[in-house]
Amino acid sequence: MRETRLWSLHILVIPVIAILLGMHFAVQHYAPVFYGMSVEKARDFATMIERGKSTAQFVVYILLLAAGLYHGLYGTRGIIRELPLSPAMVKVVDWGILTVGVLIFALGTYVTWWTFVHPGV
Amino acid sequence: MTDTKPITFRIRRYDPDVDTIPHWEEHKLNVPDGMTVLEALHEIKAEQAPTLAWRSSCRMGVCGSCGMFINHLPMLACQTQVLHLETDVVTIAPLPNYDNVKDLVPNLEPLIQKHAAIKPFIILSNSKEIDEPTGEFIQTPEQRDEYSQFTFCIKCGLCLAACPTVATDPLFLGPQALAQAYRYTIDNRDCGLQERLEALDAFHGPYQCHMAGACSQACPKGVDPAFGIQLLKRTLVLDSIGFGKKRSSVAKVMPLADIVKQIEEFAPPPRTV
Repeated sequence: MRETRLWSLHILVIPVIAILLGMHFAVQHYAPVFYGMSVEKARDFATMIERGKSTAQFVVYILLLAAGLYHGLYGTRGIIRELPLSPAMVKVVDWGILTVGVLIFALGTYVTWWTFVHPGV
Repeated sequence: MTDTKPITFRIRRYDPDVDTIPHWEEHKLNVPDGMTVLEALHEIKAEQAPTLAWRSSCRMGVCGSCGMFINHLPMLACQTQVLHLETDVVTIAPLPNYDNVKDLVPNLEPLIQKHAAIKPFIILSNSKEIDEPTGEFIQTPEQRDEYSQFTFCIKCGLCLAACPTVATDPLFLGPQALAQAYRYTIDNRDCGLQERLEALDAFHGPYQCHMAGACSQACPKGVDPAFGIQLLKRTLVLDSIGFGKKRSSVAKVMPLADIVKQIEEFAPPPRTV
């Protein structure tokens, strides 16, 4: 995939992040406003596990994870690659960023999946 | 007798044969109203510093040779009037973001290399048409307006000197080359976008632009290369998703016979007296 597509994707995920992050904020930080629930209750472990069973929650967090990771790591790659690097180092940076992204995504997906299938507290 | 104002010129000197690092020299000059920095340099060279080196040619903002860092901003010396700077001390240094050849002479080779990398010429799919033209290309005034402002570039290199991205990433193609890439790509006679992609669709292409806009502020010809870069991004993105203007071949060649016919058709009526 050439740079145009990589860059376009990093722009396209901005509204996705804005919407999904808005949903995350509504659930986690503005629960008293949107759900009539105290913030402490909304962040309670049992409540989180219960909420994690929802398919919508599962999909939203996987998407937010993917979009946020892609946007953030594309920006990080841009900052690092502005440094005067050798062609070999450029490859190391590109593959390194990709590996970090895949690992964090795998970890995040595992945690979200674990919550999704958790029997409850 | 014209009123003059005493001005101190702080000029950065560097002779690679003698100096290990650049140093500053001060020269005082009584500057009359209307004197340009280039004229002041000529006077300083004639009377005070005979070895002072810089590049200049046309003295009228056309050739783009006399780009310098005047009072910490990239400007053409021939277009900058000393008293308009409104400072008693005028500092003059070679353009930043380029290697220094001598005194005020920058090495503009990166500018030329980057410009050449984007293939700054009309590329036709039918190369025979270049060698043996069968007619003329049709271009409406509206089609010309699409790229007109970008043709004003005089390759002075001020935009690259002003660009903060070039300062940190020397491989960045830079505003001059990218604006010219747009100028040729959007030309309705051109079919060369795919050939330019090797240089443009890369990390050091238009997406490295930080949108500081310093290039457009520095441009002495009003080209607005920052705008050109944004338009180029749009062109590349549309092309990548298949919505670009497909120009696999230029079919709009008007046969010479038709052109002659048109000229006759729209010719003014014959004179009566």
